[in-house]
Amino acid sequence: MQQAINALLIGISNGFIYSLMALALVLVWRSTRVINFAQAGQAILSTYIAYEIVTRTDNFILAFIGGLLAGALVGAVVEILLMRTLFKHVSDGPVAALAPVIASLGLLGLIRSVIGMVWGNDQKPFFPPVSTNGFTFGSTTVPFSRMNLLIVVGAATVMIIFTLIFQKSNLGLALRAAAFQPEIARLAGIRVGAIRTTGWIFAGAAGAVAGILISPNDAITPYSLDSLLIFGFVAAVIGGLESLIGAVVGGLTLGIGLSFILTYIGTSLIFPATFVVLALALIIRPQGLFGSKAARNA
Amino acid sequence: MHSLRRLFLFIFSTLILLALSLKIEELRVYQGAQIAIYALGISSIVLLTGYSGQVSLGNGAFMAIGAYTAALTQIHWHLPLFFTFVVGTFSAALAGALLGGGAARLSGPYLAGATLALAVGLPTLANQFTILNGETGLDYTSGTPPTWFGESFTLYKWFFWIVLVNVMLMMFFVRNITSSRYGRTWKALRGNPVAAQLSGIQVGGSKILAFTISAGVAGLAGSLLGMIGFVGPTGFGLGLSFALVTGAVLSGVTSLAGSMLGAVVLVAIPELASVIAHRLGDTERVTSNLPGLIMSTLLILTVLFTPNGPAEQIRKHKARKQ
Repeated sequence: MQQAINALLIGISNGFIYSLMALALVLVWRSTRVINFAQAGQAILSTYIAYEIVTRTDNFILAFIGGLLAGALVGAVVEILLMRTLFKHVSDGPVAALAPVIASLGLLGLIRSVIGMVWGNDQKPFFPPVSTNGFTFGSTTVPFSRMNLLIVVGAATVMIIFTLIFQKSNLGLALRAAAFQPEIARLAGIRVGAIRTTGWIFAGAAGAVAGILISPNDAITPYSLDSLLIFGFVAAVIGGLESLIGAVVGGLTLGIGLSFILTYIGTSLIFPATFVVLALALIIRPQGLFGSKAARNA
Repeated sequence: MHSLRRLFLFIFSTLILLALSLKIEELRVYQGAQIAIYALGISSIVLLTGYSGQVSLGNGAFMAIGAYTAALTQIHWHLPLFFTFVVGTFSAALAGALLGGGAARLSGPYLAGATLALAVGLPTLANQFTILNGETGLDYTSGTPPTWFGESFTLYKWFFWIVLVNVMLMMFFVRNITSSRYGRTWKALRGNPVAAQLSGIQVGGSKILAFTISAGVAGLAGSLLGMIGFVGPTGFGLGLSFALVTGAVLSGVTSLAGSMLGAVVLVAIPELASVIAHRLGDTERVTSNLPGLIMSTLLILTVLFTPNGPAEQIRKHKARKQ
């Protein structure tokens, strides 16, 4: 019983971070119909900037805000400088349709190499701002620390703010309109280009928060968020790739599911287990928990 | 008759390359083998993406399957080298068929993500099963060259000969299949799936076949790469899949002949990077990251300026002139 509770607690904490990454991927997918593999690169770059701030000022809150803004900025730059040009040609031919995805992969490589040149490929210790020792109840210690609490609270805050923006403001509506019918959205007076960039900005910020929250548990390297990209993608697929709520539910499902598999079957099976979950999700419910079937072929 | 001429062309160029290898420097011979292997790996992507229109970011994983099964059959069953290649090719093809069954139901972004997950996830299996020997990897050797080749026939030359013959055989097969009924079927699928289906093409079956063959080709490339290098998780990780995609994009995705060009670039980049890094003072940070930097910059610039691939761009340009 104790073991199951522990698995659940670890799963929730990880799940919130997967949800943030999934949220970032979904936001980009909704605004521009691309799976942005560079999201891991943008997130790790923001995390390095947060790391730089925290080592210089020793102020985690400042680092958190700095990293978040850096993530948003990088997202905007990528969309404006790179993706906008590529999307113009997307309908030119079968290969051009893949160009944005391939470019995002190239960008992932580029960002990593640049980080490696600036900070080095070795591990950098990202010290946690609060204790990572689990809370103690009576005589039992649970694997849920102040840091985990910070992760859950931080991630949940970002999600709530995003949900409010996308559900309650016109921006969310414009974003959806621009994604589904760009021509009609433009006729209705929506500045489609600017709206798409907004999607990338929010995605960049969400990815940055995911990176900054997951890193204090571990050291950072230019590659340390690769696995997060895969978890985020799987979570987004479980949720249906279209839906923000789906991304959150998918992330938590994956986090808790993986945590139970690791606790009861074996800690080394994390990637095969993820792949099995992805395969199952695609076989059982390809449209995702919150997606419509037509969306899959769009 | 046409294919007979092609056969002679393949045999002729193989013989010339084999003879040439006797005359050039050791290091270049080794790089020649690398180029041939990359060309084969890239053509596995060209076959899949350029012909059947499916994306795979995970062909490095199929190369890993080929390399590991080939190495395992050599170590445990002591199979002759050629048969280990056959095993490597077919087990990768089997894995491709399994994945292809799922892949045929998926559209672009899902397939790209799923194959990427495979490329990241599969190499980690090496640390899970003791038979795969973790980070140390497996010993997989070509054996020493036959003594009657003489003293001057070095191990690198032997590598090159084995690699070249196998690569040429496979390339010949790939070249033929792409100009066969199946190749035309795939092109039709890529161009317009609905129209292809209406004219009686089995969409699912053709896609699975393309995936299977592509994986088999990658499997052979992986076995060969394992033979000249080593069979371990670091050599077959995301970096390899990434390099293959880069090579395929650089060579234009739609042309098999272009895969040679992409392969040459892939082998040339580390050379070029080491020259530049030397100029910049050879610090560890620069030397270890410059190849990646050049490769990804090249990849981004290629898709930015020639979104349909360089080959297509040249074709268009020519058409416009006429």
